[in-house]
Amino acid sequence: MKQLIEDIAKALVDIPEEVAVRAVEGEQVTVLELKVAPSDLGKVIGKQGRTARSIRTILGAAGMKLNRRFTLEILE
Amino acid sequence: MTERKYSVATVGLRIDGFLDATLQNAGINLKYDIQDAAPAEDDFETPDVHVKFTGPDVDLLLSNRAELLLALEHLTMEVLHMPSEDHSRISFDANDYRLLRIEELRMSAAAAADRVKRTGSYFCFNPMNSRERRVIHLALRNEAAVRSESAGMGPGRMVIVYPAGMPSLAEPPRPPEPRRDDRGGSGDRGPRRDGRGGPPRGGDRRGPGGPPRGRR
Repeated sequence: MKQLIEDIAKALVDIPEEVAVRAVEGEQVTVLELKVAPSDLGKVIGKQGRTARSIRTILGAAGMKLNRRFTLEILE
Repeated sequence: MTERKYSVATVGLRIDGFLDATLQNAGINLKYDIQDAAPAEDDFETPDVHVKFTGPDVDLLLSNRAELLLALEHLTMEVLHMPSEDHSRISFDANDYRLLRIEELRMSAAAAADRVKRTGSYFCFNPMNSRERRVIHLALRNEAAVRSESAGMGPGRMVIVYPAGMPSLAEPPRPPEPRRDDRGGSGDRGPRRDGRGGPPRGGDRRGPGGPPRGRR
């Protein structure tokens, strides 16, 4: 799932080298923390948060197949 | 008719690369076919390129008003760095969902117009994305007795149908409650500060005794 977020983020940003994803496992939920270059923050969030919402939708669908919940946290 | 701007030859490989990696990473079992669109369809949607999905996870793709389909479509166009005014030029679809949805929106628009004419009062649709709002506006463009207008911000933006002579509302009505899977606490600056403004779930929000839903 880390790979999913990392690949999507790298495809969206201008500086893919600065994309980093960390998975924090919880009992119920895995939190995926996404870090990108400050100048790329808008690219992963999108207008009105639409891009971030789309990433979360895909993450939700992927999690459903694994019966596990994932939360995406975009770090600023 | 506007000129074709995108084609399988120019964007096919990039769409394929992104979708292939994303679906595989996500463990979502779908096949897709990327095709150039036939030139003149009707003017409700005139994409250049179609991406059609088939396979075991089509139900997942279309659940919740095709949420996953639209998410994949949006991300693909962002990854291709397409400007937002071009976002109707690539259309993702499965089981003719898009076509059926447009038909549904047209019927809802007609029902809303009837209701506004009958009652002399305005009618608010549920929030919709810009492509769906456009379909409503187009469906009502030849109606002399009513006019349609979009109001509200971001994911809460909605179409309001007024009797032709009625002035616009000073403030758009509040969008409905957010969806249940808004798990909150996310770092984006999405417009949900106050816990409202869930993403667009199209369709029509009725006032009392609203128009029949455009179902087949």
